[in-house]
Amino acid sequence: MLSLIVFLPIIAFFLILFLPGAQKQAIRIISLVAAFAQGVFSLIIWQGYDSTKPGIIAGESGNVHETFQFVERFDWINLEFGRFGTLNIEYFMGVDGLSITMVLLTALISIIGVISSWTIQKQVKGYFLLYNLLSTAMMGCFVALDFFLFYVFWEVMLLPMYFLIGIWGGPNREYAAIKFFLYTLFGSVFMLLVLIGLYFSVIDPATGNHTFNMVAMVDQANYIPGSIFGPENSLWRLVAFVALFVGFAIKVPMFPFHTWLPDAHVEAPTPISVILAGVLLKLGTYGMLRINFPFFPEVFQDLAFVIGVFGAINIIYGALCALAQLDLKKMVAYSSISHMGYVLLGMAAINTEGMTGALYQMFNHGTITAMLFLLVGVIYDRSHSRQIEKFGGLASYMPAYTFVLTLAFFASLGLPGLSGFISEAFVFVGSFSSEVTRPLAIVSVLGIVFGAAYLLWSLQRMFLGKRREDALYEVHEDEHGNAKIHFHDWKGSNDLDLREYLMLAPLAIIVVILGVYPMPILGLMTSSINQLVEVVVSYTSFAMN
Amino acid sequence: MDTLIQFSIIALLLPLVSFVFLIFTNKKLPREGDFIAAGAVGVSLILSLYIFFQVVVGEYNPDYSLTWNFTWIDFGDVPGVGPLQIKMGILIDNLTAIMLVVVNLISFLVHVFSMGYMAGDKYYGRFFAYLGIFTFSMLGIVLADNLLAIYIFWELVGLSSYLLIGFFFEKDSAANAQKKAFMTNRIGDIGMWLGILILYSQFHTFGYEEIFQGIQDGRFTMSEGWLTAAGILLFCGCIGKSAQFPLHVWLPDAMEGPTPVSALIHAATMVAAGVYFVARIFVLLTVDALHVIAIIGAFTAFMAATIAITQHDIKRVLAYSTVSQLGYMVMGLGVGAFAPAFFHLVTHAFFKACLFLGSGAVIHAAHHEQDMRWMGGLRTKMPWTFATFTIAMLALAGLPLTSGFMSKDAILAGALGFAAVEGGLYYLIPALGFTAALMTAFYMGRQMWLVFFGENRAHLKPEDPHDDHHHAHDDHHGHEVHEVSWEMRLPLVILAALSIFFVYSINPLDGAKGWFLHVIKTPNTVVQSTGDYHNHTEDHAKASGLFIKEAYAESKSDTHTESHDAEHASVFSDPRQAAIDHATHDAHYMAIAFSSIMLLFGFGLAYVVYFKGIIDPDKTAEKIKPLYLYSFNKWYWDEIYDATIIRGSFMLSNMMAWFDKNIVDGMVNFVGSSSKWFAFKNGRFDQLVVDGAVNFTAFIIQFFGLVFRKIQTGHVQTYVALALVAIIGYFVYFFIG
Repeated sequence: MLSLIVFLPIIAFFLILFLPGAQKQAIRIISLVAAFAQGVFSLIIWQGYDSTKPGIIAGESGNVHETFQFVERFDWINLEFGRFGTLNIEYFMGVDGLSITMVLLTALISIIGVISSWTIQKQVKGYFLLYNLLSTAMMGCFVALDFFLFYVFWEVMLLPMYFLIGIWGGPNREYAAIKFFLYTLFGSVFMLLVLIGLYFSVIDPATGNHTFNMVAMVDQANYIPGSIFGPENSLWRLVAFVALFVGFAIKVPMFPFHTWLPDAHVEAPTPISVILAGVLLKLGTYGMLRINFPFFPEVFQDLAFVIGVFGAINIIYGALCALAQLDLKKMVAYSSISHMGYVLLGMAAINTEGMTGALYQMFNHGTITAMLFLLVGVIYDRSHSRQIEKFGGLASYMPAYTFVLTLAFFASLGLPGLSGFISEAFVFVGSFSSEVTRPLAIVSVLGIVFGAAYLLWSLQRMFLGKRREDALYEVHEDEHGNAKIHFHDWKGSNDLDLREYLMLAPLAIIVVILGVYPMPILGLMTSSINQLVEVVVSYTSFAMN
Repeated sequence: MDTLIQFSIIALLLPLVSFVFLIFTNKKLPREGDFIAAGAVGVSLILSLYIFFQVVVGEYNPDYSLTWNFTWIDFGDVPGVGPLQIKMGILIDNLTAIMLVVVNLISFLVHVFSMGYMAGDKYYGRFFAYLGIFTFSMLGIVLADNLLAIYIFWELVGLSSYLLIGFFFEKDSAANAQKKAFMTNRIGDIGMWLGILILYSQFHTFGYEEIFQGIQDGRFTMSEGWLTAAGILLFCGCIGKSAQFPLHVWLPDAMEGPTPVSALIHAATMVAAGVYFVARIFVLLTVDALHVIAIIGAFTAFMAATIAITQHDIKRVLAYSTVSQLGYMVMGLGVGAFAPAFFHLVTHAFFKACLFLGSGAVIHAAHHEQDMRWMGGLRTKMPWTFATFTIAMLALAGLPLTSGFMSKDAILAGALGFAAVEGGLYYLIPALGFTAALMTAFYMGRQMWLVFFGENRAHLKPEDPHDDHHHAHDDHHGHEVHEVSWEMRLPLVILAALSIFFVYSINPLDGAKGWFLHVIKTPNTVVQSTGDYHNHTEDHAKASGLFIKEAYAESKSDTHTESHDAEHASVFSDPRQAAIDHATHDAHYMAIAFSSIMLLFGFGLAYVVYFKGIIDPDKTAEKIKPLYLYSFNKWYWDEIYDATIIRGSFMLSNMMAWFDKNIVDGMVNFVGSSSKWFAFKNGRFDQLVVDGAVNFTAFIIQFFGLVFRKIQTGHVQTYVALALVAIIGYFVYFFIG
């Protein structure tokens, strides 16, 4: 089942490969069908998911079926090296509370992304080939339970992203693409080193061989004493933690490794921004939760405060930078940095409330920011500009657009009743309850104020008041005396059209429902989060005894 | 589930349903769906009245409460905590039951009023939808049984306030005001949120009851300073929402909203939510926190009153008056006059709503003229408005026989009692309160005479060159001012009737004998007394013992003996509150005397200045110009905040953006370009040295190749000769060596 979800876009990839490039509509429809099928299978998995199974760690004697669900496990690469033992790489997938939420998010964002890509006209075939490859890689990352497999998906993801920004992007696209690529590659080199080190440090209790099995890596009993990341080798464990953390932090992106993000967003076409903000950033924090923290729990505990500090910096620094932006898309990009800071802060709390808030924030940020980027795309399509100060008074002429945008803005600033509030609230609840991160929580609440400031100020400048003198649209009256607007060379509907409704409405509905009753998503993750907290907290107490 | 709970849930959800329905369909409905909004709130009102009669009249018990909750979020078995669930629920007690009626009644009347006032507006249907979400959120605040729920609805009323202040969003002033309101409230809210976090971190629950019980059981493990901090931080929410100093600046600007909204949200209900919230958490406030609250309240009451006396805009005067009256309520809570503060909340809600709706009627009739200098003489043209406005105005000023008199005097008596117990500088608190009362009478008298008496001064208004459109509009309708239609008159009459004493108590001089102050009693504090106050207030504590004995004896003859027993038994447990209650009782008549003097003096001054014209206000203003300007410019708070906080934030934000672009990204680009530089250098090295070495090797080989090629001639003779040379050389070497 999971393989099917992961590789459906690859099937589409091959179908498209054999179609002539002129069959644009067929290419789009194949991609849409693949994304939809992915969505349907994700829903089936969601239905079949038993939220009482905790995941994170294996059950009795390394039996992963007791805790993980929808497990698929085969030997993939098995090489004999004589006296050096065997190199054993598994094809190992499964979901628990951490990953299922991300699987659902990825499936959702993939569908929205395809709909949003409908208007791409340049080299449609190439675009959708890369899009489907990207989609597979993202999904694969979230379900892989073998570190090597995870790494493969992680690297595969880079390539299509590089070309999607570099070819279909804005004027400065090549700079942005290369920056994104090199930055992420820089991070994954660290990951590769730690990956190899872990392989030689961990044995699978079931087979007695070295393994890339991530579930086995969580159990500290599987680390060989005397190996490089063995239990007593605290210096190397610290180095490994930091190396992995930097690798993931680049993806989050965490201050000071964040500057690739605004550039990438500003240059990327709308659907790619949606994917980037909606899913890719979560891979960083997902990797921390899945790999970084449970593998090196004692280092995590020692460094929780530092991670929290970076979270707080992200929150406030991101919000302040967002306030100064004049490009709407750049503002949203900085708001992403700010909002991902909440995830870091929540995780640093090392308690259930904070970590649940963080994971839930990952989901909510995915939906809300996807909405924001789509909305930026709507106005950019019409006016070919994203300058906040080049409009004014749009609310009078584009009421539906204004309504959806206001909803998205308020969701982003954490209005109760919309999903962003609950995750931010529990991030604060958790980080305040932990004595380590309490001072950071006190500082970070300022982010709530600055968040409201940049969003409401942009809302006012673009939508409220009257049309500015130098606005990028014209107003004229029709025969009934109703004011109508006109964008320079835009032929379509001035307000939202059907395609745009189809992208925005599902996200808006999800944001509202999950804001009123979060349990459908939040209920999936609680037992896994409790398990994760248990794993992290209990290891230290074991060590201290 | 109890019927009362069911009814309260229906009453809560109806306005929300109306909002959701109308926001999508209003343009397609007849009358843009205003009857749906009004109907929904009307049904809510009927249900609230049922709850009110069941709870307040039926039970008539100060300790009555009814709760219901459900699990909203289930965290499962949390490590270190155990099973953890976040619950949402409803709490119905006397406070709730009274507030339900106040909110729904005023909301319903405002709906009716708006049918006249907003008629013909471009977004008429949207207005009624917004009223729905406001009513829903406000009822949520009232019904919530935990801190998270109240915070949620707290933000939602913030949203509805934002939407309604900016209802005329095409006006820049409205768009500015709505943003200012939301931002200012957010600042207060983060304080409130931190307060909630402190309490949650101790008890892992948001429920009022569990938290109070936890504090009482001594399970608050942080120091007492943190508990004080929690109280003050929670109070920050009230500072924002109830427009207390230093976050009061948003409320006067909020008058950019339609006037019915000002009546409903920015006078009667939402701004009182802060006071309601402090009343809810009253029991966990430490003495230090109460002192802070009392000082903030008294200062706000005084400061806002000084501003109100010089404003020209009819709504701004009322806005500052609202800030000032909210200051009274907050001060009342701070000095321990819990019941009077809540009493004042209710009475103020009615008479201030009446005043705002009355001013709305005046503005509507005077073709959107809001400046009182260009009004006058409306008494004869708008008799209904005049009569109801007068009653409400007298209630605000605190004239005996009105509701405002009873509640305000009770607060002032409480302040005197508080000062008597605390002593020293704390006498400033009642002093500020009485001064504010004097100014209240003055500015209300001024407004009265300017608006309703004398000659109409509309023609004196200087021509405004930018106002052509407006004048054309006025000329078209003529300058005729006339009484408003019945749907605007009816709410005025009902609200004015509710501003008279007999609604609350038979005895016009003493509210304590009425039903209201019977069902609302000061709850017992759950904070463990540290004992300091025992010595400090020994005299009063002794006296209060005596007082209670007397009261106890008195109560034997009373019909409601049981409840009094319980209450007096509990009074013993908190000597400080008992002492204050006793001193308050003593101060009752003194307060009446003082405030009556203030009232007469204030009214008299307004009469002399604005009716008789004995003192010319303009010349007086000229004589005390600095003071006048200080008041007229609202103590320059807006300018101060603009110069410090707002500019500071923008500067910081621009600095950060610069830092980000040039330093952080500059580092990245530097690393990038230096790698590139290094790569190019490396390329040169590669070309020159590495490749050079390779080429050099090739060159050497080539060189030797060239040399040896000379030898490789292909002629046998040469080879034989060379072989001969070699052999000879060998022999020479062999024999000689």
